[in-house]
Amino acid sequence: MSRADLALAQRLKAGDAEAFRGLVRAQHNRMIRIAAALTQSAATAEEVVQDAWLVVIQRVDGYEGRAPLSAWIAGIVINKARDRAQRDGKIISFDAMAETEVEGPALAPERFAPDGHWADGMPAWETLTPERLVGDRQLLQKVLAALDSLPPAQRLAVLLRDVEGLEAVEVCRQLGVSDGNLRVLLHRARNRLREAADEELRIK
Amino acid sequence: MLTCQGISENATAYMEGALPQMKRLRVWTHLRICPACRRYLRQLRLVIGLTRHATHEPPPDTIEERLMLAFRQKRGGGTE
Repeated sequence: MSRADLALAQRLKAGDAEAFRGLVRAQHNRMIRIAAALTQSAATAEEVVQDAWLVVIQRVDGYEGRAPLSAWIAGIVINKARDRAQRDGKIISFDAMAETEVEGPALAPERFAPDGHWADGMPAWETLTPERLVGDRQLLQKVLAALDSLPPAQRLAVLLRDVEGLEAVEVCRQLGVSDGNLRVLLHRARNRLREAADEELRIK
Repeated sequence: MLTCQGISENATAYMEGALPQMKRLRVWTHLRICPACRRYLRQLRLVIGLTRHATHEPPPDTIEERLMLAFRQKRGGGTE
C-alpha cells in the first residue's frame, strides 16, 4: 500500500487540478506505450489512452491503494485496449503472441565460446553516473528505440514488470500469461535492451 | 558446473527469484567466481533502471490541456 499514491488520489478526488496535471505528465507517455503494444496505429493508441484517462478521472474515488496508482492506471489502459480490439473484431491473446515471439535462443550461440564462456568476455561499460543515466540523450534514445521495436508481448512484459514495476503475479494476471511465459518474454526483451545500451556504453 | 551460457539462460529466472534452491545456489556460486557474468547481470539491471528513468516524457500541450479540461469538468472546484 502506497501512502504517496493514496495522498495523490485524495487530492485528485478533491479536484486538485495541478495534482492531476502532474499525474498526466508522469503517466501519459507510459500509457501510450502500453496502448501502442496493443493497437494497430498511433491514432488508435491515442484514443485508447484518452478513454483510459476519462476512466481514471471518473473512477479515482474507487482507488483504494492496494496496487500502486500507476499499476491501477496500466490496468485501465489494458482493459480499454482490449475493448477496442474487440470492437475492431480482433482478439488479443498474449499466450499466442508470446509463442511466436520466443522462437530460437535468446542469445545467439556465437556469443559463447565452445567451453561456454562469453566469447567477447562481456566488456565493461563506462561508469554510469546518475548524470549520464538521465542526461545522455543518445543513450536514452537508443534504449527507447529498442524498447519501442520489441515485439508486442515482449514490450508489454518490460513495460509492466520493469517500467511500471508491477509484481510478476500482477503482470501475469493483467496479460493472462503463465509466469513461465512471462519470464521467457522478459528474458528476450531485457537482453535486447542490454544489447542496445551496450553499443553506446561498452568501453572500446 | 554452470557455464556462462548457462548463467545467461537462467539470468531472468534468477533475478525474478524463480529458480529452485539448488539452481539458485549454483548460479550464485558461478557469479562469485565469474566477473564477466557479474557484469552481465549488472548491465541487465542497469538497462532496466534506464527504461524507468527514460519513459517520463510529458505529453504535448494540446493533449495535456484537453485532459485538464476533462478533469475540471468532472471534478470541478478543488484547490485552485
